Amino acid sequence: MIRKTFMLLTGLGMAMPTFGHYIPGDGPVELSASVVATWRSDDIVEQNDYWQIPGTLMGGHAWPYEKGVAVDEALLGLGARINERTFAVIEVGTHGGGDGHGDSAEVQHAYLGFQCCEEPGPWVLEVGRMSSAFSPSLAAHAGDRLTSESPLVNDVFFGRDFHDEGVRLWWHETAGWSAGAEYWRGKAFPANTDGDGAWDVFARHAWSAGRIRTTAGGWYYRANASARADHRYGGGHTHTPVAPPGATAEAFPDTRFTGDVDVYGVHASLQYELSTDWSLGLQGEWMQLAMDGTLNDAVGRQARLDADQQGGWLQPSVSWRRHTLGLRGEMLTTDNHLTGSAAPVLAEDSGLVNASGHDPMRYTAVWRYQWRPDVAFRAEVIQDETLADDELRFGLGVVWQGQLWPQGRSQEHQH
Amino acid sequence: MFVKKLRAGPVWPALLLCVSALLSGCLESSSTTVDDQGARVSSFDWGLPESIPLPREPEDNPMTEAKFQLGRHLFYDRRLSTNSTVSCAGCHQQDKAFSDGVARPFGATGEQHPRNSQPLVNVAWASTVTWGNPSLGTIERQILLPLFGDDPVEHGLNEANSEQVLRSLQADPTYGPLFQAAFPEQNDPMFGDLAWDNVVKALASFVRGLVSFDSKFDRGELSASAQRGERLFNSERLECFHCHAGYNFSDATVDRLTTFNQLMFHNTGLYNVDGMGGYPEPNTGRHEVTGDPDHMGQFRAPTLRNIALTAPYNHDGSVETLEGVIRNYAAGGRVLTTGPNPGDGRMNPFKDGFITSFAISEQEIDDVVAFLESLTDESFITNPRFSNPWNSIGQETP
Repeated sequence: MIRKTFMLLTGLGMAMPTFGHYIPGDGPVELSASVVATWRSDDIVEQNDYWQIPGTLMGGHAWPYEKGVAVDEALLGLGARINERTFAVIEVGTHGGGDGHGDSAEVQHAYLGFQCCEEPGPWVLEVGRMSSAFSPSLAAHAGDRLTSESPLVNDVFFGRDFHDEGVRLWWHETAGWSAGAEYWRGKAFPANTDGDGAWDVFARHAWSAGRIRTTAGGWYYRANASARADHRYGGGHTHTPVAPPGATAEAFPDTRFTGDVDVYGVHASLQYELSTDWSLGLQGEWMQLAMDGTLNDAVGRQARLDADQQGGWLQPSVSWRRHTLGLRGEMLTTDNHLTGSAAPVLAEDSGLVNASGHDPMRYTAVWRYQWRPDVAFRAEVIQDETLADDELRFGLGVVWQGQLWPQGRSQEHQH
Repeated sequence: MFVKKLRAGPVWPALLLCVSALLSGCLESSSTTVDDQGARVSSFDWGLPESIPLPREPEDNPMTEAKFQLGRHLFYDRRLSTNSTVSCAGCHQQDKAFSDGVARPFGATGEQHPRNSQPLVNVAWASTVTWGNPSLGTIERQILLPLFGDDPVEHGLNEANSEQVLRSLQADPTYGPLFQAAFPEQNDPMFGDLAWDNVVKALASFVRGLVSFDSKFDRGELSASAQRGERLFNSERLECFHCHAGYNFSDATVDRLTTFNQLMFHNTGLYNVDGMGGYPEPNTGRHEVTGDPDHMGQFRAPTLRNIALTAPYNHDGSVETLEGVIRNYAAGGRVLTTGPNPGDGRMNPFKDGFITSFAISEQEIDDVVAFLESLTDESFITNPRFSNPWNSIGQETP
């Protein structure tokens, strides 16, 4: 009932769309940086527990958010026009994740782009290591989002972040339309490098008239994985964590998935300016995932897996001058079927077991204050029902997103 | 024109689609269903704790209580040897967890076996059933070796005497009903062509049914010392848990849930007779069968259940105590300066990667031993179900 009421109410509300993809402008070299730090009142899971949402196969960089102050993200990006039609982008950053997980910096973007054929619109070819373009929320950084925590479906279906080596060809923002295809080597969850890689197609449309701005789009993604591990905790030589006196810890059961993953999604955003000071926003995305494959473990146990999962989020917001107040409601449903003599054990070990039919949900209320053009503060209240035990936690954060060179220019999409 | 049409494209329908999809999802409920395809179904009462998966049963020899009971009688019957001096129970004694307490036993003709008698504990879960033969995956095939093998001679059966031995069994009225109950689908299971096949299947059924999962460890009754030992056992310093893994304390374990048979054999640096990793003949382990030089000295990690009852240790019974085994591992191999097989096992190039030296105090050795002793299953060694049936029916063991 609460769920329904929330979803219906949010349909009346409104937020600013964000897109993570970046093409350098025509000027000189652009150097930008951002740091996102958040204090949270509680952990999602205890220190020696593993974050595993019932009914799902998780992985990638979907580390649990932890109590205390954590750097959610730190980025340093460099973009340059090599000539009129060629550009390059390099971005180094951390994923965050607390407790040493993902704290080390890595190259998240390193790609070359070419554009041509200005009429009827530019075609852009990009090659290298980059974020995906098919889902705006998946490419968005922690500082771009209204909330500090990434959408639940992104954490579960894509391991929070998506950076892979690949090639993208797309028709870029012409008459409001963007559409293209991407082919990936398969380094990013839910693919893995031993599989046959991944690819996707996408299209979206941006439209504005008077006080209204909208975007809407859809995409389809397909990946193949071979003996894919949950690399957050497994995938190599695993140990039983050393628990403090009086506490117990268990070794992570290293269960692998081999097979195909199909995901499709639709997303939309709407912004309506009531007046110079007031505006309303609404954003949302819905994804449907199908997994067809095999689970196995190190001792030779095996079971067939056929899974259909879907989830999404909806985020209405209201802005007054530099203040934005928003709500985000998220949910996930899972329908899994395992077959084989080892099915009960592997369902338990992999995290797919969901004996109580738990539907993971999360609600976030957020207030964001844009103190300076490059500095914002936010406060959040999160009712987390993703695990069997509900949790209410609070967050206070700061976002700094600066253009270091040239100064005084904002970072925009340009051709 | 095309672009103009698109400009007024389906934005609102897409948005509505998003919202409606979200709402439709609200009405669904999550579920995970599993179909284990009968993995917990058996016509035999294994008496297992819930956490232990059932072992595999051969399709041509499914477990039945009648075969188990017939096999039990045969297991303790000395007539099943060339001169009626040796039964299976001679080298596999219940009070020693079905081992024999000697380094290397003697067969019916006095020939000494090159290997230490393995305890018969949870053999049903073993991926291979001898110390070093990777091709022997079923108890039925393994049993032929002690019965009919000639290198070495154990029971000493052969083509010349097998008929006579069978006749001696047929003459005992105890066996008729047992055979008939065990193989009801056969017209004449004790006198027909399948008589020896039935003997083997019954013996295998009894051995397969020797189940031990009721130790202090299983009941969670570890002493303080044993708890410390358990932590050491599972530590990356000692590395014990890698080879002695899982519920049966052996990485050579299969059950109904496992799809693949993983051949797990390890060289523990026990010998290095030629400075090049050699083991004394004929005990070269997996290498004996495969001839692969890399398999030199590789033996299967035995289960550690009831290990405190099965001294002496290692494949040739050359280590007398558990303390001695731990000290060899702590040294990263065994150094022999005297005797017929001197050599520095620490330098064995075929040694398993987990056999690295580690520091360990006397107290810690005692703790690890205490943990290993906690794996002793008293009910297993006293269970009348596994004991000599000839005593219970008032007969002297034949």
